[in-house]
Amino acid sequence: MRCASAEAGVAMFIRFQPTIEWVNHFVGWFIPAEMNGDREKQKQAKMFLFSHIFGPFIGNVIPAAIYVLDPHPTYDVAILALSITAFWVFPFVLRWWGHYEALVILSVQNLIFCILWSCYFYGGVTSPTLSWVLTIPLLAFFYIGPHSRLRMVLLGLFLFNFVAFTAVYVVDPTGGKHLPLASLQGLGLVSTTCTGIYVMMMAIYYAKILASGAELEAEARQHLATSVALRQAALEAERAGAAKTEFLAKTSHELRTPLSAILGYSKLMLEEAVEEGDTHSVPDLENIYGAGQDLLKLINEILDLAKLEAGRMELFIETCDPGAIVGDVAQDYIEAARRKRTEIVFDLSRAPKECLCDIQKVEETVGQLLDNAVKFTENGKITVSVEQKITGSRADLVIAVRDTGIGIARDVIPSLFEHFTVSQDSSSSKYGGTGLGLALCQRYCRLMGGHILVESTVGEGTCFTVQLPWKPGENTAEPLPGATQALQFAAA
Amino acid sequence: MPKILIVEDNEMNRDVLARRLQRHGFSIYCAEDGPSGISAAERERPDLILMDIALGEMDGWEATQRIKASPATADIPIIALTAHALASDRQRSIEVGCAGFETKPVDLPRLLSKIEACLAPTNYRAIA
Repeated sequence: MRCASAEAGVAMFIRFQPTIEWVNHFVGWFIPAEMNGDREKQKQAKMFLFSHIFGPFIGNVIPAAIYVLDPHPTYDVAILALSITAFWVFPFVLRWWGHYEALVILSVQNLIFCILWSCYFYGGVTSPTLSWVLTIPLLAFFYIGPHSRLRMVLLGLFLFNFVAFTAVYVVDPTGGKHLPLASLQGLGLVSTTCTGIYVMMMAIYYAKILASGAELEAEARQHLATSVALRQAALEAERAGAAKTEFLAKTSHELRTPLSAILGYSKLMLEEAVEEGDTHSVPDLENIYGAGQDLLKLINEILDLAKLEAGRMELFIETCDPGAIVGDVAQDYIEAARRKRTEIVFDLSRAPKECLCDIQKVEETVGQLLDNAVKFTENGKITVSVEQKITGSRADLVIAVRDTGIGIARDVIPSLFEHFTVSQDSSSSKYGGTGLGLALCQRYCRLMGGHILVESTVGEGTCFTVQLPWKPGENTAEPLPGATQALQFAAA
Repeated sequence: MPKILIVEDNEMNRDVLARRLQRHGFSIYCAEDGPSGISAAERERPDLILMDIALGEMDGWEATQRIKASPATADIPIIALTAHALASDRQRSIEVGCAGFETKPVDLPRLLSKIEACLAPTNYRAIA
């Protein structure tokens, strides 16, 4: 609803925009730069400029009418016309000289002079041009606003002029010209019409300025309110997210303590059963222990993911031998691979002797990749290679785990690194796994400033490549050319 | 027979760890909090201490610092045990003087290899 009304407001605003915009643009050209900061001042300057640019067109109708209606026009008409035309100078003076307040005083003085001058010469206190006196307070209000010390100055100016006029009139009431009644009537008609048009013009422009200002203000207020609400919502979401992560981390942590006991006791009983030759209990105890290990792995993964997402996962960088790390991790999978008639071979010929890395995270990543490779490969080969890749000033550690397994379907690859994704046709009951492992691997690699790539062809095999910067955690912002995406597709 | 002191507040964890280590030929002493761990270290002079970090009022780090501060027990290697796998916990453990750091639940083969590594220099010093 709020949006709809805002749109209607904008539409309305746009509809009367063109004319006012053109006038504003024209008028705005004369506003000196130093007045641009204050919106109220700007509004007053606009009124001042508007009346000075368009006013003389209407004002000069009066001397023109006098010239036509007066059977013997004299110098006083020329002076009146000159004074009215002088108003056109004001915008330029404002633009080049500034001093708005001084110009306002001068302008009001000129206006009073024009009016009283014409009154004195054409009809005195009953002059048909007397109606223009009404424009003086009106214009003064437009020019200086309701709260200004200038008000007193202008009031003083008006009183001074009025007293002077009265004095001159009292001293020499016959100084004026004596126009025929018909001429005075004609002048009255023209003068009143012009006053009306002039006052109306000023009032309309004032209303438009006011309306456009109010429109803009309402818009701005609405935008402000929306942005405040958005910020609030974002903050709340963040807080809720943090609470969720905190809860997950705490729960996972609390789960590990009783699980410790289950794992410890079942392992103890298993060892004792094996020693005592209790073959009946061994498989059951193995199942308890195995299930406990699976549960532990899952809890650890959830805990790690929660930590990663909360930004609380830290790096522990040490100097290490990457070939040895990979070899040690692979030892744990050789037996499982052998059971599936799969061989694990190493290519460590180009491995650096030492590098800097977070051993634990590299171990977990490589372990996860090997776990996957063994899971999806039968009667095949898994090749683990470690090498150093030098590109320009960068020396990256590249660990690849390549298998000859079932491969990954193209449509699955994009979601491979999301939480809880296991290949559709390979149900977790057959292959096991939570689908958290690869999500973790990718986040570990990113945390260390590297990335993980996957290439796969269904039926031929999969290759996961981990690329880590020489100094983990640094130069995260410059991925290698062609590796801006976490995924690469091999031609199927 | 090397003597190991286990400082751990969870009864089941303490019991199962003690029994599993006994099976590997260690003689085990147990303490359930920081202060009793410190006094047990002074009394029994174990060859190694397994120190839980989350111990309640006096945490494992403080207990370690006190044991390391006393000349009588300063040479006993201490392996920190914690359910937190945070790198900062590991850093802190090393700073207070622990010789090693293990996460719980304990992976016994890995813990055993760390225990052996810690006991080796002690043996060497004893021979020397």
